[in-house]
Amino acid sequence: MKKIFAFALLLITTTSFSQHFKTYDWKENPTLHELTSAENEESSIAILKKNIVEFKQSAITNNISVYETSHNIIRVNDDTGIAKHNQVYISMYNVKKIKSIKARTISKEGKITNLDENNIKQIENVEEYGDFQIFAIEGAEVGSEIEVLYTVEKEFSPFGTETLQFDYPIKRSEMLFISNNLTGNIKTYNTDQTFDRTYLGENLVEELILTDIPATVEEDYATTESNKMYAAYQCFGNPDLTQDDLWNNTITNIAAGYFPREIDKSAIAEVKNVILKGQKIDISQYKKASLLENYVKSNFTVIENRNEQLNDIEYILKNKTASEFSIVKAYAHFLEAMEIEYQIVITANRFEHKFDPEFYSPNALRSFLIYLPEIKQYISPTRIDYRLSEAPSSVLGNYGAFINKNVEYYFAKITQYDPEYSRIKRVMDISFSDDFDKVTIDEYQEYSGHWGFQNRAIMTFYSGQDKEDFKDQLTGSGIEDKKILKFETENDEMNQTEYNLPYIIKSVTESSALLEEAGDSYIFQLGKIIGIQSELYQEKERIHPIEMPYQNQYNYTITVDIPNGYTLEGLESLEIDKKMEVDGELLCKWLSGYEIKGNKLVITIEESYYVNEFPKEHYEAFRQVINAASDFNKAAILFSAE
Amino acid sequence: MKKIVVLFLCISQFVIAQKVVDFDTEDFYYLKKSQSLKVTLNKDIFTITNDVFEKAKYNTANKLFFANDLIHFDSFTEIKNIEAYTENGASKSKVDHFETKDSFGGNVFFSDQQSINFVFPSVKKGAETTLTYQENIKDPHFLGSFQFGSFVPTKEAVYTVEVPNNVTLGFKAFNFEKANVQFEKKENKKTTTYTWTANNVSDFRKEDKSLSILNYLPHVIVYIKNYTEKGVEKPVLNDVKDLYSWYVSLKDQVDRSGLEEVFSIAQNLTKDLKTDKEKAKAIFHWVQENITYVAFEDGLGGFIPRGAASVCSKRYGDCKDMANILFEMLNHVGIDAHHTWIGTRDRPYSYYEVPTPIVDNHMITTVFIDGETIFLDATDSYVPFGMPSSFIQSKEALIGISDDEFRIVKVPIQAKEKSTSLIETTITLEESTLKASGKRTMSGYEMVDFIHDAKYKKDDTSYEEYLNNKYQIGNNKTAYTKIDLGDLSSKKDSYLISYDIEINNYARKIGSKIYLNLNLEKPLSNDIILTEKQRYGKKIDHKFTRNYKTTFIIPDGYSLKSIPENIANELDMYGFTFTFEQKENKLIVSKIIYMNTLALENEQFEDYNIFIKSLIKAYKKSIVLEKV
Repeated sequence: MKKIFAFALLLITTTSFSQHFKTYDWKENPTLHELTSAENEESSIAILKKNIVEFKQSAITNNISVYETSHNIIRVNDDTGIAKHNQVYISMYNVKKIKSIKARTISKEGKITNLDENNIKQIENVEEYGDFQIFAIEGAEVGSEIEVLYTVEKEFSPFGTETLQFDYPIKRSEMLFISNNLTGNIKTYNTDQTFDRTYLGENLVEELILTDIPATVEEDYATTESNKMYAAYQCFGNPDLTQDDLWNNTITNIAAGYFPREIDKSAIAEVKNVILKGQKIDISQYKKASLLENYVKSNFTVIENRNEQLNDIEYILKNKTASEFSIVKAYAHFLEAMEIEYQIVITANRFEHKFDPEFYSPNALRSFLIYLPEIKQYISPTRIDYRLSEAPSSVLGNYGAFINKNVEYYFAKITQYDPEYSRIKRVMDISFSDDFDKVTIDEYQEYSGHWGFQNRAIMTFYSGQDKEDFKDQLTGSGIEDKKILKFETENDEMNQTEYNLPYIIKSVTESSALLEEAGDSYIFQLGKIIGIQSELYQEKERIHPIEMPYQNQYNYTITVDIPNGYTLEGLESLEIDKKMEVDGELLCKWLSGYEIKGNKLVITIEESYYVNEFPKEHYEAFRQVINAASDFNKAAILFSAE
Repeated sequence: MKKIVVLFLCISQFVIAQKVVDFDTEDFYYLKKSQSLKVTLNKDIFTITNDVFEKAKYNTANKLFFANDLIHFDSFTEIKNIEAYTENGASKSKVDHFETKDSFGGNVFFSDQQSINFVFPSVKKGAETTLTYQENIKDPHFLGSFQFGSFVPTKEAVYTVEVPNNVTLGFKAFNFEKANVQFEKKENKKTTTYTWTANNVSDFRKEDKSLSILNYLPHVIVYIKNYTEKGVEKPVLNDVKDLYSWYVSLKDQVDRSGLEEVFSIAQNLTKDLKTDKEKAKAIFHWVQENITYVAFEDGLGGFIPRGAASVCSKRYGDCKDMANILFEMLNHVGIDAHHTWIGTRDRPYSYYEVPTPIVDNHMITTVFIDGETIFLDATDSYVPFGMPSSFIQSKEALIGISDDEFRIVKVPIQAKEKSTSLIETTITLEESTLKASGKRTMSGYEMVDFIHDAKYKKDDTSYEEYLNNKYQIGNNKTAYTKIDLGDLSSKKDSYLISYDIEINNYARKIGSKIYLNLNLEKPLSNDIILTEKQRYGKKIDHKFTRNYKTTFIIPDGYSLKSIPENIANELDMYGFTFTFEQKENKLIVSKIIYMNTLALENEQFEDYNIFIKSLIKAYKKSIVLEKV
């Protein structure tokens, strides 16, 4: 079947076209490549990763065809390397035709095993990714090279991206962009190297050659995925389009549905009869918008599927079901009906894509938020865990297109308005049983801002084991025999209408593992009561810029009863002072200290992150502030009998 | 398995206090879940349909995401007549969009599993959703089972099975005491109807680190034993014999052509080896190292191994492919090897109780050498020869001896002496900085776990961070000055790693005294079980013995003022001993910690927690040094 199909294509195409992929092929008699001993230490390494993207306009129909060729040669040096590369998935998203798929392995001994194309399987409608062709590599063993070469013809789309960096090193990466005299643009990201113009035969093409691309590295406080090297390209028939035109077209199209000229009648009725029912006329915009969002999130379901009716506002309002894109329309109708001024923000998750206003890309238009300029708050329409708030951490710091009701837009960095928005406040009172066998911790906690949303959502949506695990975290994780005697929460309902109402926890816990015997003295592992703290390691140079989820601060007051007849030693471990200052500006700090007041030891901790982005050149200072918490977590004091 | 059955018998002597369900406090629950299975027979051809009905209620708007629903099916079933709708009081809205998706991801590379996805419209507080559809079961070996409980509570659960009177139905109930299931059998003129009903069933949600939920979830497995036509009784799944002969008919479809290369590899591997054991070991290692595990689930193909020649040339396969290539290679060099069907530990079924394919989900190879039965599971690339993979311990292995003969043998639980860690550490103290050099020798599943984690769980962390997280030696401030993880790619029966560490401010120096806790590692100290977190027992992957031999060099100018007393708490299922002995300027601490069970039932939690607390107490004891 497939053979006939390929053959028929060949007949048609050879006469009228001469695309590059037709003459591009792998070596007829492949041999293993020479690698250095360091390269052989890698679990797997790409010897070549080559992508060819070709746009070609038909002289007869004027239709533009797009061909994409991918050619990889990968050495696998151990079983994890094999496991990483022996299953191949080729996305059929937008694919019109598969031109060819072939794969082979060259063993250490030089033996070649070709993929039996009968073993290629199709899978359909996978999550939101569409269809795939999948196959397992045949003949892969330790020390062999896996070679995969395929070409697909895609539906014409003027835009595309090619990832150039992966979680394994690449010796040589090549990308060829062939526009066949059509107007196109190409831009590289996260590398200094750019495309060069060169001739491929008589055809002027753009070529990028990168050598020794390191594997991506996962780091804490980093957006690893969106920091990968990649190339973005554009190619369209009309030579006059500027980046502004491109943004303008798309944004105007998208925005049309988000600023309805006529408000749906059922939306007006729902506002009057349900959302604002019983409310005073002069309630604040914050409360109004909260009531609306609470209503939508308690009555609508957001889903991703292929049902086209999900774009129809009548269908959405009737069935209370919408897509991630179209739920914004429902909000728009309600907001108009409530006469609340709003802007639509189109952006991308910063962990997946960094928005570049200078180069149009559809990947930048994946997240939709509603911004209320009067109160400087956001509605996150697809986030059931959020309510009216500062920008959620997924988009904070990314650029976005802000669109107003006149469908005018501007690009701006998404920032947090109130720097003190997110805070954890803890007051802990600690006492000991008479025989020094048990510690009791009586604790009051307030979580505001993003912390509050997170707690509300987890405690509402989780159940069983997951919820219990989270309760453990909320009462100090890592205390081996901790027993929760009391756990009460306030302001825990998802639907709130008051600005930044903190989530409150009142708890009493008990442990004897926190006390260690040493002769006739007792060591109290005081630091452990703040829970396990992550430790930042850095043996290698920091790669990624430092990005925290959001600005936030912690304020702790810990009061310890000193039992009669005991003196305290080792208090110096409680004093830690770390900070990061850049150009005279304090960006983050940890400051802990103590005071003895009568028979009480009072410890205060202040941990603050005044910004959420930090220069990586100052990583060491940042690490010290972060690790101060983990240092404090090791603090212990000694009670010795007088 | 037997143990569990016995336990249930014990339990049923008492009246079990079932968890009382307060439906009003639930966000979402099932009002009713029912299935009615109908079997008809015409000229040796079965038609089997199962009508499914589910009605759910949204008590709050907290979990509207359950409106996203789906029906799973595979190539053995066909789904028809789906109807789904939401009711809000008198108003009813129908689902108008259904989408079929292939299943993808997880550990399975390719699967015939699919799902029909849809979303209930207009779901809000108070809404009730209803889903009905018909399942056509294409093969009479797969009648299936009915679960009375679900991930949320269920008000009413009903299962009905109707078979013609010439068909004998087999069934087996599990955990009925957890839901007070009522049973009724009604014989009509032409058919017999079996009905099981349960009311107010609490939620059953899978848990981490727990035993398989199937040990707790009330369910019934049904199967066709036989049928009579024209006075002749024809077997389907009367007993294991029938199941086995069906398996044989599938296994016989294996392609056995073109085995020359497979045989020549086997020959080469073993040509210089004398004993059958050495030969079997060499072949097992070759398959472990050279055939990569890639999982397929593909209809009846899922029951028929691919030919060994093809697996050998492709260098990958799933469990049955690996079992079959082992079978071919071993037999070729004269070793008595057999195809073996088996269920993993999460399937708590016995072939004797339910002789159906529901019992197993895995295939291995069994060899008999000098009267010894050895189970070979090459899907575990690191398990030493002679030990089964840890996830099939205690399970019944259905060993195919010949086309008419089989044997059921229990895979022995591997003794705690087979999976050991010996941790030898020398500790010195310089001011308050502790320096230690450690050697860790691992065998059995302790070794398998280490290699697997080091290869697949380390991710991008450095070895230092990885070791800190894995063993938590000292604390997470521990600095490694030397790490030698050995050669992770070589096959050994035991594995050695070594490291040197430094921990600043570890010892507490106060006045003329130094307080020092020599328990750098505290295994099991986080193991206290909270019953609200662990409703379904505790699963332990393997039995083990860990032996910590610590030598502390007493620093010059100090003497030992206080040494903890020797302490031991040795029980059948778990235990520890700590001994302290001073030899000149050395303190030698010997700690042995062992686990001698694979499962703890809820009734045993309290004892276990007492044990863990006694261990924590032992860990808490420091030594005291004083300046001379």
